[in-house]
Amino acid sequence: MDLKALKAQESKRKISKGYMWALFCAVFWGIWYLPGTVVWVLNPFDEMYSAIAETGGDGTALIITAVLITAFNALTVMLALMLWNGVLGKYGELGRTLKEFHPCSKWFFLASIFGGPMAILGSFIAMGFIGGAFAAVAALLYPVVGSVLAYYWYGEKISRRAAIGIGVIIVGGVTIFGGGLLTELSSGNVQWIGYLGGLMAAAGWGIEGAIAGKGLDISEPDVGLTLRFLGENIIWWIIIVPILAIVGYPMYSFALQAFEPFTMLVLIFAGITFGFCYVCWYKSFPLIGVGRGQGIGNLYGLFAIIFIFLFFGDVPQWTILVGGTLCVIGSFVMFTEETSALETLRGE
Amino acid sequence: MVQTAAAMEAYNAYWVNSVIPGANTMWMVLILILAVIALWQARTFVSKF
Repeated sequence: MDLKALKAQESKRKISKGYMWALFCAVFWGIWYLPGTVVWVLNPFDEMYSAIAETGGDGTALIITAVLITAFNALTVMLALMLWNGVLGKYGELGRTLKEFHPCSKWFFLASIFGGPMAILGSFIAMGFIGGAFAAVAALLYPVVGSVLAYYWYGEKISRRAAIGIGVIIVGGVTIFGGGLLTELSSGNVQWIGYLGGLMAAAGWGIEGAIAGKGLDISEPDVGLTLRFLGENIIWWIIIVPILAIVGYPMYSFALQAFEPFTMLVLIFAGITFGFCYVCWYKSFPLIGVGRGQGIGNLYGLFAIIFIFLFFGDVPQWTILVGGTLCVIGSFVMFTEETSALETLRGE
Repeated sequence: MVQTAAAMEAYNAYWVNSVIPGANTMWMVLILILAVIALWQARTFVSKF
């Protein structure tokens, strides 16, 4: 076998692994909705929601409770990532990358600002002020932001075929949540802050992906993502939670009550799914590019519907089946792209 | 603090219509299986690339 054939074979293996990680991301993201949904009814979060809703209203209660759940989610993600790095023997690399702040870890701390408070909080604001379907549709648009930024910032190539695939997956996702979206928007009680939240989610995750793509040029995805969540934990636990406590919300009393075995168990499973989803997302970027990684990652909408049907028994509507089919078609458009087109991910 | 009866009732209500037997615990088993597969693939990936 000559050098050219060996190079082509290596490239093919790399790309198939890239799609595999993006698909793992979608599966973990989809199944995260199980612990991410049920944790809301457990103590102390149900009581926290009721206590804040009594004085501040449902919208405020949802956001403040979401902040505490997200902060705990970030904490258990960190535990899951320490397990991941331990199994892969990357603690040494973690320390080395952390020390190299200027060339390396600054990108991941920056990514944590856009992915954490901006995207996740924006998603909860959209959920609280408009509805869950709107929040999901808004978030589905993040690959557009990510791929456009990656193209203009560091010249990541996005082929016509990949753009079509990403577009079809987005249309599929919008169709999946379309019924709920129309109901929510036609309720006549939509507030502009909900749209701002949707924009924060799409822009936040898109910008995070593009920044991560830059940081991953010089660091490992496994340790890079761990630093990104270290940054997110600092933002929640050292900045946002104390500020909310100073403002007068009962953050610490409910945070202490969350150390209840069953609640912690559910939070740990949320951490495993969210952490592994994110690390697979980051692993796919250097292999297939930010645009494709985010496009395939968007299949989470489809997987969420499948897991919710299997475990919660919610039977999908016909719009969901049409949207799901579109998602699968979009994925195949991308999977079947000539590997030679992906040999170099950046423009020359 | 322990879970109240109302909280556990709300938690169990989620799984009542599931098509999977023992869904209130099987979701955790599925996540563990997926996590082990992902870790195994990550180990393989590290050794090959």
